[in-house]
Amino acid sequence: MSMNLTLRIWRQANPGTPGRLVEYAAQGISPDMSFLEMLDVVNEQLIRKGEEPVAFDSDCREGICGTCGCMVNGVAHGPDAAATVCQLHMRRFKNGDTITIEPWRAAAFPVVKDLVVDRSALDRIVRAGGYISMNVGAAPDANAMPVAKGLADEAFDAAACIQCGACVAACKNASAALFTAAKISHLNLLPQGQAERGRRAVAMVDQMDVEGFGACSNEGECEAVCPKEISISNIARMNREYLRARLVAR
Amino acid sequence: MQLDGKVPGGPIESRWERHKFESKLVNPANRRKLTVLVIGTGLAGASASAALGELGYNVLTFCIHDSPRRAHSIAAQGGINAAKNYRNDGDSVYRLFYDTVKGGDYRARESNVYRLAQVSADIIDQCVAQGVPFAREYGGLLDNRSFGGAQVSRTFYARGQTGQQLLIGAYQSMMRQVDAGTVKLFPQREMLDVVMVEGQARGVIMRNLVTGELEKWAGDAVLLATGGYGTVYYLSTNAVNSNVTAAWRAHKRGALFANPCFTQIHPTCIPVSGDHQSKLTLMSESLRNDGRVWVPKDARDPRPPQQIPEPERDYYLERRYPSFGNLVPRDVASRAAKLVCDEGLGVGDTGLAVYLDFADSIGRLGKDVIKQRYGNLFDMYQKITDDNPYQVPMRIFPAVHYTMGGLWVDYNLMSTIPGLHVLGEANFSDHGANRLGASALMQGLADGYFVIPNTLSHYLAGTSLPKVTAEHDAFAEAASNAQGQITRLLTVRGQKTPRELHRQLGRLVWDYVGMSRTAEGLRTALTEIPRLREEFWHNVSVPGEANNMNKNLEYAGRVADYLEFAELLARDALEREESCGGHFREEFQTPDNEAQRDDLQFAHAAAWEFTGVGQAPVRHVEPLQFDYVKPSQRSYK
Amino acid sequence: MPSRLSFFSSTVGSKILIGLTGLLLFGFLIGHLAGNLTLLVGAESFNSYAHKLEGLVPVLYLAEVGLVAIFVLHVVRTLLNVWRNTVARPTRYSDKRRAYHTSRKSWSSTTMPLTGLFILAFVVLHIRTFKFGAFYRDPTTGERDLFRLVAEVYQNPLYVGFYVAAMILIGMHLNHGISSAAQSLGLSNQRYGRGLVLGGRMLAVVIAGGFAVLPLYMYVAY
Repeated sequence: MSMNLTLRIWRQANPGTPGRLVEYAAQGISPDMSFLEMLDVVNEQLIRKGEEPVAFDSDCREGICGTCGCMVNGVAHGPDAAATVCQLHMRRFKNGDTITIEPWRAAAFPVVKDLVVDRSALDRIVRAGGYISMNVGAAPDANAMPVAKGLADEAFDAAACIQCGACVAACKNASAALFTAAKISHLNLLPQGQAERGRRAVAMVDQMDVEGFGACSNEGECEAVCPKEISISNIARMNREYLRARLVAR
Repeated sequence: MQLDGKVPGGPIESRWERHKFESKLVNPANRRKLTVLVIGTGLAGASASAALGELGYNVLTFCIHDSPRRAHSIAAQGGINAAKNYRNDGDSVYRLFYDTVKGGDYRARESNVYRLAQVSADIIDQCVAQGVPFAREYGGLLDNRSFGGAQVSRTFYARGQTGQQLLIGAYQSMMRQVDAGTVKLFPQREMLDVVMVEGQARGVIMRNLVTGELEKWAGDAVLLATGGYGTVYYLSTNAVNSNVTAAWRAHKRGALFANPCFTQIHPTCIPVSGDHQSKLTLMSESLRNDGRVWVPKDARDPRPPQQIPEPERDYYLERRYPSFGNLVPRDVASRAAKLVCDEGLGVGDTGLAVYLDFADSIGRLGKDVIKQRYGNLFDMYQKITDDNPYQVPMRIFPAVHYTMGGLWVDYNLMSTIPGLHVLGEANFSDHGANRLGASALMQGLADGYFVIPNTLSHYLAGTSLPKVTAEHDAFAEAASNAQGQITRLLTVRGQKTPRELHRQLGRLVWDYVGMSRTAEGLRTALTEIPRLREEFWHNVSVPGEANNMNKNLEYAGRVADYLEFAELLARDALEREESCGGHFREEFQTPDNEAQRDDLQFAHAAAWEFTGVGQAPVRHVEPLQFDYVKPSQRSYK
Repeated sequence: MPSRLSFFSSTVGSKILIGLTGLLLFGFLIGHLAGNLTLLVGAESFNSYAHKLEGLVPVLYLAEVGLVAIFVLHVVRTLLNVWRNTVARPTRYSDKRRAYHTSRKSWSSTTMPLTGLFILAFVVLHIRTFKFGAFYRDPTTGERDLFRLVAEVYQNPLYVGFYVAAMILIGMHLNHGISSAAQSLGLSNQRYGRGLVLGGRMLAVVIAGGFAVLPLYMYVAY
């Protein structure tokens, strides 16, 4: 049983030229295909016709590298909970459906080409303070400092972030609060991260603002689309850490 | 050519310490004047960049991804081994060393493996201090588990995403150095050539994948950490952008390529569902702890698996390997699955799958326990296949997962090109002919954090490195060479897509250089691969231009390299007339179908020298000596 | 900690300011409602409450100035953020839908700036109608008979309707605003985050409902 679909895909040659939605027919699509495999099929047809295929990012195709991501019918990564778009399967759609596919949109994520956007702003937020300053060779024994299991698990929940940018894409303000909060939470919760706790929160929030992301409106769209289901309670923690660092800590 | 592994002498326990002491050091004030080019930001590349940046070198780091944190190390699920002996269960550096040499079927260098086992404990310390959230017990100390049939619990893990957590740790350390200014990061860059000046690796040609520009970068040493070549099979558990291009181009410049035939096929992957498939998804090996593998005894049994009664099922692993049962090592389990499918007993639409059944475990332990142990894996399986593994057995099939072969390196991780160092999966590695579970992460981080910072200083301090800039003629030559291939790809304007040709190559390599190989099949591959290569260069279609982002062009370039590399893979498999680890030759097996090693003739690493495309490469040999772990036949009966 | 940005212009600090001022205004609403509920008791009770308030004069002016300042801060900082958020996404999606699953997006949350602007206009009107409305003097006590003014105003069914509608909009603003302010101030965590949302919604219903009951009561009773 195969499906025929109509795709409306954002095509944009480069950052400088305006883009538009272009309609393509996707025919003979198997429900067992992943969404990106369906795009592969469409691209194969374009290449055979000598046309430029649709540029989209993807790598591991199992939902962990965070490379892929686009808006599928107005929702980041498509309709499935806790999944990246590479984990979305075509059985989720019906024969005859029209699917609109757009890139992440944010001033801080300029479109590079078609569905590919530049997410290096997220790397720069990490660079600003998303680390524990510890040189190779200086580490004490791994079991020298016990970490309560609950704390370690909470830190892990935040550390599960795959830096895909869906939170920014879904947010009506293009805010990177969930991403930044997850990174701050991961390190600020752990005892190893305490020494730089305040500096980290301030430096990362600063960088987030410099990049031109919007402010958080606490709608939780980010949490809803997050492939790793990272909770917006991390944003509350980021706010606390920031407040504490700016007003109390020295 | 005489291959000198530069292995230090003396008792194995003190070799690394002595070697470090005897290595030359670079004065701290001079380090920033030395430029190190690091290609790749997986565990090996990111950790090396961080460590070298901390030492004060001028590090330039490149990756093909839009962010260095996306390298495929991120996908490793299971864990990382370390000889910590936190369990008091008899583990030690020596035991990890012993297990790794034996698990690699005696085709690895003892000194390297011992060093790996030695630094394994430091890796865990390093990662915990970086904030890697390893699994912990209620007491707050680190949890361990036994993995891949090991008899001790030495595997540290972070839920099902150990690779991602370790990579984030290395990435964050590297970003700290970027912030400090010692590391400069260049994402979206693909290495197209190593630039040689007076016999030394002194630079690289990188293609900027956004602008299409060819960039020339000069330096004092080059570190390749670009991963394995598993995607030569088209379908594998590797990421779709994983490729052999950087390693292959270095090989064409003179770096020998060792043991390419050692490829690891992982037994528990989700089977292929159709031609459209772009990759295969690995299901953690831990599933075999509670799942039973079987096929119907009747090849044409039309019934759904739940309705097939016990006596009509063949639990072939339990039957053939009564003592290890479903927990035999990866290579053995994979081959056994292939064998039953070859006999026509495979299940599913394609006949290329076996059942992994949890009904017994669910009956014995209850659904909740199984859910607790494997819930996320079961969810992932259901998401992909639309089957509920709590009710129907999973269908699994082996898939290419890891490649033990790679560029030949000495004890210092330097290839046969002076100055060109190779780290992680890209080198021919410490895993011999077969890698044990949870050892890949260990090796990548060992190379990057602990080995290369020491051995690179020895090279830099002890080598005359005249000043070289990117204006040197060698850069222009290499760049025009790279440009030539790009132009050629764009001008073919044929009918087939790079993916179609890649799929064809993958089918060919899987059929003839896959889990089970014969001289005849390998010879077929050696005639078919050049033919396909010929077709590629006459019939590939690459629309678009070279001066902007053109993913299809990148892909075509990688497929072109695979079409050359595949020939070497088949040739190495043909010349290695024995079965060991991931290399199984049907001619060389025991009467009960187990691998038969030939230690007299093949206890060596085969390192190949490039002589030209389509020309027979030259096979060099580095004999392997086993002074500590005496080779014996592996048996899991 | 040194920072390149002033606290209140950062995205996080600005939201803390908006949340804090919002909660203070919410606190004012609680007090305002508590006082106004004396309307249900009768004219005497209400007028005596109003009179006591006026008796606090120097403090009352201070409170009024403070209230205006909080209000202005709340509005201005929000408008600046709305501008910043608009700039943060220069190209709109051609198709954007509410995400499924745990999203808290609602009519309330998406219309916050609009309901906020409405409330601003309403407050101006409201103060003009009552504080600066007709000055009736109670013949017996000689003091201002605010109750009479209230009762008169709420004889107009159009005004009652308008007032009730306004309370619905205020309720919507509070529905998202209360829990959102708590989240911005970092008062939420994973355990009771959902509870805060429900709590905020209940408080919004109580406050808006409490205010809405008054004109309806006055219309029916007088």
